[in-house]
Amino acid sequence: MLASIVSYGLAVGAVYALIGITYNVMFAASRAFSFTAGMLGMLGGVLGALFIDRLGMPVIVGLFLVLACGAVLGVITEIVAVRPVLKSIEQHLYVLSTLAFALLIAQFTAIQWGTDASPFPRLIPIGEGLLDQKFWIPMLSCAVTVLGLEFLYRRTLIGRAFLAIAEDSYAARALGLPEVRLRLASFALAGVIGSLAGFAGGEMLLAFFGNQSILNFYGFVPVALGGMGNNRGALVAGLLLGLFQQAANFLVGGIFASVAVFVVFIVVLLLRPEGFAGASGARRV
Amino acid sequence: MSVTRRQVLAGSAAGAASLASGLASPAIAANEPLRIGFLPALTGPSSSTGVGMNRGTELAVKEINDAGGINGRKIELIVRDTQSDATKAVNAIAELTHRQKVHVVWGPLNSGETLAATPLCARDGIPMIHPCWVDTLIDVKKYPMSFRNAPTNMQIGHAANHYVLDVLKAKKVAVIGDNQGYATATVAAYVPLLKEKGATIAYQGNVDSANPDLKPELLRMREAGAEAIMPWSVNAGFLARICNARGQMKWDVPIVGQTTLGSGQTQALLEKPEYWEKVYSNNFKKVCYAGDGKLPAAAADFRARLAKEKIDMGDTLLWWIACGYDAPKLIAQTIKDAGDSPAAITGYWNKLKGWPGIYATMNFTPEQHNGVPDDEVVMCQSNSLKDGAFNLAPGYGA
Amino acid sequence: MKFGWLEGRFTFLLLAVAAFGLPLLDDSYAGVIATRACIYWILISGLNLVVGYAGQIAIGWVALLTLGAYTTAVLTAGTVTPEVQPYIALVASAAMGAVFGMVVGLPALRLRTFYFAMTTLGFATIVTQIALAWKEVTGGGIGTPGPVFPFPFAPGWGFYYFCLILAALCTWMTANIAASRFGRALIAIRDAEVAAEASGVSKPALLMTVFVLSGALAGVAGGLFSSLQSYITPDAFNFDLSILFFIAILIGGRGSILGPLLGTILLTVLPEIAAPLVAWSTFLYAALLLLIVLLIPGGIADLLDYRNRRPLQQHRAIVPRPELLPALLDRPTGGALELADIALAFGGVHAIDGLSLDFHSGEVHGLIGPNGSGKTTTLNVISGYYHPQSGTARLNGAALPFGAPHKRASFRIARTFQTPRLVGGASVIENVMLGGTIDGQGSFAESLLTLPRHRRDERMLRQRALQALTIVGLETLAGVRADRLQHSELRFMEIARALTLRPAFLMLDEPAAGLSAEEIRRLGELIKAISRTGTGVLLVEHHADLIFDICDRVTVLNLGKILAAGTPAEIRSHREVVSAYLGA
Repeated sequence: MLASIVSYGLAVGAVYALIGITYNVMFAASRAFSFTAGMLGMLGGVLGALFIDRLGMPVIVGLFLVLACGAVLGVITEIVAVRPVLKSIEQHLYVLSTLAFALLIAQFTAIQWGTDASPFPRLIPIGEGLLDQKFWIPMLSCAVTVLGLEFLYRRTLIGRAFLAIAEDSYAARALGLPEVRLRLASFALAGVIGSLAGFAGGEMLLAFFGNQSILNFYGFVPVALGGMGNNRGALVAGLLLGLFQQAANFLVGGIFASVAVFVVFIVVLLLRPEGFAGASGARRV
Repeated sequence: MSVTRRQVLAGSAAGAASLASGLASPAIAANEPLRIGFLPALTGPSSSTGVGMNRGTELAVKEINDAGGINGRKIELIVRDTQSDATKAVNAIAELTHRQKVHVVWGPLNSGETLAATPLCARDGIPMIHPCWVDTLIDVKKYPMSFRNAPTNMQIGHAANHYVLDVLKAKKVAVIGDNQGYATATVAAYVPLLKEKGATIAYQGNVDSANPDLKPELLRMREAGAEAIMPWSVNAGFLARICNARGQMKWDVPIVGQTTLGSGQTQALLEKPEYWEKVYSNNFKKVCYAGDGKLPAAAADFRARLAKEKIDMGDTLLWWIACGYDAPKLIAQTIKDAGDSPAAITGYWNKLKGWPGIYATMNFTPEQHNGVPDDEVVMCQSNSLKDGAFNLAPGYGA
Repeated sequence: MKFGWLEGRFTFLLLAVAAFGLPLLDDSYAGVIATRACIYWILISGLNLVVGYAGQIAIGWVALLTLGAYTTAVLTAGTVTPEVQPYIALVASAAMGAVFGMVVGLPALRLRTFYFAMTTLGFATIVTQIALAWKEVTGGGIGTPGPVFPFPFAPGWGFYYFCLILAALCTWMTANIAASRFGRALIAIRDAEVAAEASGVSKPALLMTVFVLSGALAGVAGGLFSSLQSYITPDAFNFDLSILFFIAILIGGRGSILGPLLGTILLTVLPEIAAPLVAWSTFLYAALLLLIVLLIPGGIADLLDYRNRRPLQQHRAIVPRPELLPALLDRPTGGALELADIALAFGGVHAIDGLSLDFHSGEVHGLIGPNGSGKTTTLNVISGYYHPQSGTARLNGAALPFGAPHKRASFRIARTFQTPRLVGGASVIENVMLGGTIDGQGSFAESLLTLPRHRRDERMLRQRALQALTIVGLETLAGVRADRLQHSELRFMEIARALTLRPAFLMLDEPAAGLSAEEIRRLGELIKAISRTGTGVLLVEHHADLIFDICDRVTVLNLGKILAAGTPAEIRSHREVVSAYLGA
């Protein structure tokens, strides 16, 4: 029983962490949180089922197409919902524009794909049990993503440019960095990570449009608790959230499990608004 | 006689309603169409029932109108998609009764909406018939014009409990639901029934429907010695996860529960086809394959007509289509025999006896507005799904 | 010139006539839809103060509707208490809504916008879950019947009039708040929080009050909703409803009453007209929201705002009238503001390092130095934004506590900002009236009901703001939306705002930046005149000419330390200063 809680908890936690990283990547590039993170995760599952199950494509082709769609959606998000409102970032219009855009895509999916959960294909035709692929695929995807991002940010020129933008976009522009193109690239990257989250977790969460709101909320918890922009924080907080949620599901039952997660979220945030690992104090005047 | 009194009461209620809305009672034009207000959820969450029933309803209306209507009057079906949203249902009821001035309301098809719609119809004095299971929906004193052409939750519970305790001879039972309205209410209602019948409740719980992992719950059930699992939920994903978890645990406990266990959506979500073995969902005798593998004559004939009309059965259940078909047929028969005033319709239904629907035999009395007889509520074998219908579960005198 | 209370009165009148005459149509269906619009508006009018005015992104407000609905329904059904009269239950719903409005709103004080949005969503989920689980009270998934209000507001047109009267009352009350110093402070919190604080607005107290009011209205709306629905189940309170409330406000336009009212009517009626599109309704709402945010962020209110589309006169010249100053700044002043040994470091960087400085009433004290020398930081220490690690501040001999920027206004310390902090959506005079916020005597409740003290406050503030605007030479632009002003005008507007406080000490942060030579000359005269009324002025500037023209004393900072201090003449001849900064 413990094994089941741990394996599911870590697997779901990995999906949450990936969504959290999606939030982070978009935030780093634009200083804006985007409601599209959960939508990307949901689409990862739905498109995966569409390409592989309904259209009969090979898994690799399906995966590639899903990630490509994610990247395209990321770019569209940036152009449609983020760039036009960045000028007045302190008015927080991005909350509204990204919410509207995410709702738009989710409703379209609901109407075209249906509102019931649909099956997600088995990706690799082998084994089952506690070490089933539906557990290790999300965890592996999460590990690869985190390591890949670390490598990108620390070892490559373009990654350092990303960091420079995140640190201080005015200074970065002054240095001649192509801010707009870097931001587009960041959103495309976020699209890839978000849809990968949904794809990797598809066998657990199914191809279900309702996953959007679930992932939006539970994916944001790691960001809030791990400190915004902090991918390692999101990873740890995401895995902990998964474990906590599964344990709560088991110990107090379904109805109170979500209440428990939410209460912890609120209490931690009120005590530490910057999360456990975040830095505090932005200059206001 | 109570029937006459009720008719008078109903008539005066209707009169009061039309006075309240400032309407003089219109003289009925001989060829004025008969308006049936229909409130299915055709889109949005939990719309599969509505989609299925809608096919039957449309077919029935088409058949009646093709045959010249009722006494020369056509049926006008006014459909409002409620999207399973009680708010939309309330607006739609107001539109149907006040603006469209329908003669009868058929639906809504989900309990949450019907709970809101019933008092409104009662206030306006419009007869309504609906297929929702929640017991409190029928109350002949509060809602004398409301009828049910489907089983009550209690009937379904009794049928399932009977099957678990008397046929499968299980003594320890696990009852599980998701965290949605229907499931929480049903789990709470069935557990006392089971206890009454002498069963031991090994497990009782409501689980987050989004929770991807139900294995710990099933492990708990197994540890508590459950001999049958009774899941109550309309969520195919949730039900499939129970079947999958049971299969992975290689635990051959029977699963007996909600009709959705046998839906095509649940089937699609199973990891392996054999995980659907020993799964029994509730259904109706008149639309199930009997021991000889054949549908009862009326249902077989009905299915042939559906096939001829090229109405899809593969993605829905036969009983949904049949139930949707029966309602306008019953309404048409009523108006033909008794007239279209609320009092006439209610009076006719109050005396309805043995009306041979395809889906169930309908009986109403002034005291009893639940139309489906107990013995027609049965369990079927989920993995025998073929063209929307199932084999009766083993033990029904097959 | 007319501005303030309830913009677009004609439209309101039209709506009221149509609403009261609706029963003449004899269409009960229209009655149900109109009743629904009234109920939604009761909630939205309150939420409008939170979202449209204070700018808090409260998405999950359906949670409070749920609470209100269940409170009324459960109390009238008598499941846990003796049966309660529906009208009394409605009052209980209001109280319940008020309490939980505060609970839901509390995180807004500590969390960032997006975080707060998430917590409201979370609350919405939780309330539904509890309604499902707490079967003994709420009936769980089966739900509970809603109340039937007895005569005179029985179901049908009676109930409609009940909701309509309440909706009208809400319109009136929220319009009163919007046109009060509280409403101006809310918009200031949204658009220029720092300016609001500097004007003495206490964000926590004000936001909590508004959350309580908005919660109470949502509670009432919930009680009425449960009666309209006739029966409530947790499923009825879905996310779409939350989105509808939220979007109605944004479509209507932030900082307006009429706009969101029209938005509410639109979103309630539209799905009924476009029945075939019902499946696409949320999709269309989302599309509408996206278009509004991107194309007309001001919403319907912006489209209706003809006055602010009229072109302004080109080539406007600002002509201050310093001679009118004594009429405004007529309070006797005297004293000094002294800083001693202030040290403030960010990380390892010493922004200010042992600074001592004093400025006195009646004089202009100039503060100059290169970028990063600690000029603005000094201002921020005085106005409470920074808390230095050591040192003391004294005002007229008494200790001036560090921190708490919103308390500075009560010490009559006013300031302007390096980048003008304007409340863009409000008119110029409203911006200026904000400066006098702390001199209002009436309470929030008095403003809600326009009691005499509120009206007296408004007259006083308006008169004072007009005086200040006339003094800086912007009185002809009083009714214009502040974000239409030119940069130089904004600088003068900020000074007018500071003057409305009738400050004993006034701090100006680079007021001449971006001004023409002629404007700088007029600004200099104005500043000098202000100081001659007895106000102490601390002037941070780069324009050396201005400093030397009008200052009585000048302090030169470098790397957080004082490089030189003295009269302009002394500074002008100070060798280090000359060689380093004056380039002579």
